[in-house]
Amino acid sequence: MSSPLAVLEAKKQQAKKNLEEIGYFSDVKIYVGMATCEIAAGSNHVMEVFQNAVKEDKSLKGVYLSQKGCAGRCNLEPTVEIYQKGKDPVKYVKVTAENAKIIIEKHIKKGEVIKEWVGK
Amino acid sequence: MEKQMFTDRFASVFGTESFFKKQKRIALKNCGLIDPENINDYIYADGYKALGTVLTKMTPKDVVETVKASGLRGRGGAGFPTGRKWELTAQQESDEKFVVCNADEGDPGAFMDRSVVEGDPHTVIEGMAIGGYAIGSSKGVVYIRAEYPLAIKRLIKAIDDARKENFLGKNILGSNFSFDIEIRYGAGAFVCGEETALIRSIEGLRGMPKSRPPFPAAKGLFGKPTLVNNVETWANISSIIVNGVDWFSSIGIDKSKGTKVFALAGKIVNTGLAEVPMGMTLREIIYDVGGGIPNGKKFKAVQTGGPSGGCLTDKMLDTKIDYESLMQAGSIMGSGGMIVIDEDSCMVNIAKFFLQFTQDESCGKCIPCREGTKRMLEILTRITDGEGKPGDIEKLEELGNVIKKASLCGLGQSAPNPVLSTIKNFREEYEEHVYQKKCRAVVCEKLITYTINDKCIGCSACRRACPVVAIKGAPKEAHSIQQELCIKCGKCFRSCKFHAIDKTSEAKEQK
Repeated sequence: MSSPLAVLEAKKQQAKKNLEEIGYFSDVKIYVGMATCEIAAGSNHVMEVFQNAVKEDKSLKGVYLSQKGCAGRCNLEPTVEIYQKGKDPVKYVKVTAENAKIIIEKHIKKGEVIKEWVGK
Repeated sequence: MEKQMFTDRFASVFGTESFFKKQKRIALKNCGLIDPENINDYIYADGYKALGTVLTKMTPKDVVETVKASGLRGRGGAGFPTGRKWELTAQQESDEKFVVCNADEGDPGAFMDRSVVEGDPHTVIEGMAIGGYAIGSSKGVVYIRAEYPLAIKRLIKAIDDARKENFLGKNILGSNFSFDIEIRYGAGAFVCGEETALIRSIEGLRGMPKSRPPFPAAKGLFGKPTLVNNVETWANISSIIVNGVDWFSSIGIDKSKGTKVFALAGKIVNTGLAEVPMGMTLREIIYDVGGGIPNGKKFKAVQTGGPSGGCLTDKMLDTKIDYESLMQAGSIMGSGGMIVIDEDSCMVNIAKFFLQFTQDESCGKCIPCREGTKRMLEILTRITDGEGKPGDIEKLEELGNVIKKASLCGLGQSAPNPVLSTIKNFREEYEEHVYQKKCRAVVCEKLITYTINDKCIGCSACRRACPVVAIKGAPKEAHSIQQELCIKCGKCFRSCKFHAIDKTSEAKEQK
């Protein structure tokens, strides 16, 4: 009989596969804060913008979009993180639905980081 | 390298922000990094590795010893050594034992536990399963307040997913250890965060504390040995197992190891959740992590520990954040609320706010708490209304000390703290209220005087706003307020666009 750690290792491999299937290891990943506090600050509208974009915009094919819990920056919510392979993660703060659209156009499509919206 | 992976992933993403630089994430290691509703995300971030390790390599006794050696203390507020609690429960002989997670976070302004459950529910489940293994229990209960619907939803999903993956249920990961968790909702009573009241509430009884001993470790839920720990305590367990005792006890200081999550609120630039190593000073957390006081205002006090805690002054800013130092300074660690107060706040009014809360939440079982807090609140209300009498402050102190000594549970024993600590540190403000009818922060309504200055252009906006027709003056001429008619509602002050109304509170002649 295999040990619990061995069983867990198999589960980890399976988890990796499952994550692969949903595009977790994509070159571009977007995380939107979706805790109660973030939603109260309007992150559900931001999430909607990203969801629609990922679904409908062909140039965003393969982009991984996920929710996340709150990192603790109450005064700067909603927050959005953009991970691009080989680059430092960019963390946007006080994101609105309007800003989200601009982030998609400028940052995700053209690679231009919008510095004034990044948290310090 | 792998050890770093487990808790330092957070720093690699967020480390560049000044808010996070001095933080150390253990309980919140995954919050803001993973999808809380996707168990794969958690497993891939080395989730359940601690549970696997425990079930493969450690006896229950080893686990208890590890937690004991780590120096972890209860994060719910009182700071009882967690390992000792585990040991006591493990030693009990019983056919059934329970593991309880206290997620009834009731302090006003505290939201650490919600954040953990919403952002990383599996870490709590994993901690509880390890606790179950250590004490020989197969049944866990999470007592969570019903006001946290999203946290509940995510916790339910996490428990379901964990069952499907056999992290909960029978023969976990092929071992002979079985453990499952169910959820019970709290209806929003503050006292149900007290462990004996919490247990009664789970049993379906009215949430009232019982006298201890017997402690829950001996006779808890349904009379069986029960291990009750707070969400944040549970969230620390997996990191201790994976990274080891030496790693954990290298963080923090002397008698307080590891980190503590604080909810920074009030007059502070970076409001938010901060997890900092024990032993950091209040100054560091308020100025370096919290970014200081906004709008160039002066720091006045910091309130820690919520309604059970006390207010500390600028002289105490170099107090270290650990259980003993905070206690010595006259406050408590508490569950982690930290409210920063600037010069615009009245300390008497703040004490009244907290006492109002505890008075409201007193379950009524024991007289010192039920009657005592009511009388204290009456006196405080009188003082802030400008009707304070000589001797009131002394009476507050006397009442407060009796309530502290004679109450049955932690709620009553700590309820007078906000009042007593503000009297101790800001006595002159109380005296001004009582003897001079003056509120230096210009907060207490009844002690304020509104007057019209020479900037008045006679627009009549204030005259129209006044509900008691206390303002006289012809259009385009300077107006005036008839003080004997004024009810201090402040409507004129808010209606004036020319800064022509002064809001002051000066010492008044005693009759």
